Amino acid sequence: MSGPVVKLLMRRLLTVIPTLIMVSLLLFCVLRLLPVDAAAMSLPPNATNDEIAAMRIEMGLDLPLIQQYGIWFGDMIQGDFGTSIHFRTAVSTLVLDTLPATIELAVMAMGFATVFGVLGGLWLFYARGGAVEVGLDLGSVALLSIPEFLWALFFMLLFGVSLDLLPFIGRLGSGVARPETITGFLLIDSLLSGNMATFMDALRHMILPSVALGLSAAPPIMRILRSSLMDVYQEDYIHQARQRGISEGRILIRHALKNAFLPTLSLMGVQFGFLFGGTLLVEIIFSYPGMGNLMVDAIRNADLPIIQTVGLTYCVMVLLISIVVDVLYLVLNPKLREA
Amino acid sequence: MTTFDRRNILQLLGIGVAGAALPGSAVLAQAGRDMVTIAWPSDVPSWDPNQRFSPDAQPLFKLVFDQPVGQDPDLTLIPSLMTEWSLAEDGLSLSFTLRDDVTFHNGAPMTAEDVRYTFYERIKAGHKLDIANSWRHVTDIEVISPTSGVFRFGSPAPTAPQWLAFMGSYVVPKAYMEEVGVDGFRDAPIGTGPYKLVDYQMNSRLVFERNENYWGGVPEIKTITVDVIKDTSARVAAVQSGQADLTINIPVRETLRLDKTEGLTGEINAITRVILLQMRHDGEFAEQNLRLAAHHAIDKAAISKAFYGGAAVPLSVVSPPGTPGYVEGYEFAYDPEKSKELLAAAGFSADNPAKFTMATTNGHFPSDYDIARALLQMWKKVGIEVELEVIEYAKYFELNRGHKLPPATLYSWDNATGDPEIFTGYLLNPKMPFSSWKAEKPGDEVLRLFGEPDYAKRIAGYQALNREATEMGAAIPLLQSVQTLVRKSDLDYRIYRNGWVLGNSMKWG
Repeated sequence: MSGPVVKLLMRRLLTVIPTLIMVSLLLFCVLRLLPVDAAAMSLPPNATNDEIAAMRIEMGLDLPLIQQYGIWFGDMIQGDFGTSIHFRTAVSTLVLDTLPATIELAVMAMGFATVFGVLGGLWLFYARGGAVEVGLDLGSVALLSIPEFLWALFFMLLFGVSLDLLPFIGRLGSGVARPETITGFLLIDSLLSGNMATFMDALRHMILPSVALGLSAAPPIMRILRSSLMDVYQEDYIHQARQRGISEGRILIRHALKNAFLPTLSLMGVQFGFLFGGTLLVEIIFSYPGMGNLMVDAIRNADLPIIQTVGLTYCVMVLLISIVVDVLYLVLNPKLREA
Repeated sequence: MTTFDRRNILQLLGIGVAGAALPGSAVLAQAGRDMVTIAWPSDVPSWDPNQRFSPDAQPLFKLVFDQPVGQDPDLTLIPSLMTEWSLAEDGLSLSFTLRDDVTFHNGAPMTAEDVRYTFYERIKAGHKLDIANSWRHVTDIEVISPTSGVFRFGSPAPTAPQWLAFMGSYVVPKAYMEEVGVDGFRDAPIGTGPYKLVDYQMNSRLVFERNENYWGGVPEIKTITVDVIKDTSARVAAVQSGQADLTINIPVRETLRLDKTEGLTGEINAITRVILLQMRHDGEFAEQNLRLAAHHAIDKAAISKAFYGGAAVPLSVVSPPGTPGYVEGYEFAYDPEKSKELLAAAGFSADNPAKFTMATTNGHFPSDYDIARALLQMWKKVGIEVELEVIEYAKYFELNRGHKLPPATLYSWDNATGDPEIFTGYLLNPKMPFSSWKAEKPGDEVLRLFGEPDYAKRIAGYQALNREATEMGAAIPLLQSVQTLVRKSDLDYRIYRNGWVLGNSMKWG
């Protein structure tokens, strides 16, 4: 790993710590402002007021807010994220059990969005100035304006019910054996255990949710790639390449695309973060047992320990993605390395 | 082993030929009539059945665990693990006899020690259990022999037999739980029930295999797969596409539509759930005439027709037909003119309307928000103007506990036992957190009935109380709620009046 990359990594990792502290404090305080009594929610409906008051003390809810935060934060840095009010299980266990499914789904969705977005961007660029560009432009706006849960319902009805082509419930079909949990990532675990039937089935189950999720992430990629390419094609080196007789295809691939891709990469980082947020509804619709599904349960049951931990996990994911994008940016852009 | 061939790739691209079979369908076809796939709206909170009260989870728990006392489809208490039970005249003890042929899934016999462990020792040991609240008055459970014992209560417990058949009351194995611990038990639960849990993926899929040694007779279906599908549209799609054989709680219009689909049957079944307006005795509704005027202005049949296809039965008391607290032949009339008279007596009219706030949930039970809006329109016609406040289900409990609900709240009250104590008793007991009505009348009578051990007297008392509560406007019962269900037409199951859909009652026709 080169020096600038290491320096960047160190710098970014150092900024992660205060960011996480800020976010955790914000999350903790905002959730405490909600008109929900966590003590009452942790007891059955027939609990008496005295029992609720006793539980409030047991949970430390009678302490000053900052003291409550201190206790929670102290436990958290030791890996104890508390116990779920609804499930009465360690929150860390619940999050670790569901996170791989969400990451797998988000990565697949991002992969789809990237392929669709880049190909669409290239098409838009080549069709510039014509009626096709207008049509594609309108199409991308339409894609952008339809939320992922509507795509999810539409795909489920079209490919799942009407055409009966693809499964739309859960991660595996009925009767398909789950592989031994090694990493928690179903695709990887089924490959590691050599179970191709499970791998294929899991992959097929991921198509509809990941396409529904990725479809609204693709148009911005498409549009920014097109505009970046248009900017790059104004540069002198493109004209010089043409004068040297280099083919248009080679100019695009070897010279233009690499530079035009840098702003696209930044956008993809942002889009990836949004994709995580979008998993909530898509996971519910496709009965996908990920962290979004868990979060919806937590919200319904006012399960504050889960909500704050999942919120923090989303934050960590976004920060990690942002670091990865920054590193890639540096690797792909020699000017930044020199600076 | 599957390889990446052209057909697979086409399917992956979503453009496979129409004959490309889904994995689930393929497995279903292979499995023939030995399995059933159910699309269920929620998961269990955990696999410790004593831990959390969750009405929707009861049919799932009942696959793996048994309750001491059972209920038949019309909700009459029947023997289950207990062959006999007898509540003492003073209501302070309950003696019981257990079956001697029941074993847990690991082969260990179920005895009175397990009953004592479930309902007493776990609670005393401080396990975080919801049943600790239901059985808080248990002072001891004496084990007389492996098949008999006595519950001792600190205060009369007239509904103890009903609670033995109610939420959370499942017998768990003492020796196994002590061996593996609570966490270990939740990871690998065993009970005495008709099925064994063989695969569980939280929020996704539960697979149950038939218990070949089940004391209650071996179930017809060998494998039951439950897909947890929280989204209503997805449940409709699952049953329509054949990926599920049965589902519940989908919109009435979808149920009626699917009923017309070949091979599917849609049902709208009335269950022991009551939709009502919970009232406050103070504030804007302190005036009885105003409460009664509000009640007379409601056309319950029209609401049922509009939102439940007419299947929800209009109610005049807070107990549905067929349950012990129901008052046969009693009807509180829909009478807008009478409503106007009562309003006038209270000093209100169309020109000088009564104004108050009503709370409702949105999406907690089918059409709740729509019903609230319909009520607003009906009241407006007689001279009552209502401001609607939409609250979250979690906030409802918060507000009710703090006695901060507005004058009226639209709510749905579930009671699988059908016993009137868990309807009117809980809703009007001023000392309970469920009650928004905190007045002495009829609160004192409710408190008396909570300690009445004689069943006949208790039920007669509740019937009178139900009528009185309606006539004084302490509660406004609206409708008996319904459960929608769609199934493959050749899949039979037993209809329980409390909405249980039990896997061990299913069989292919």
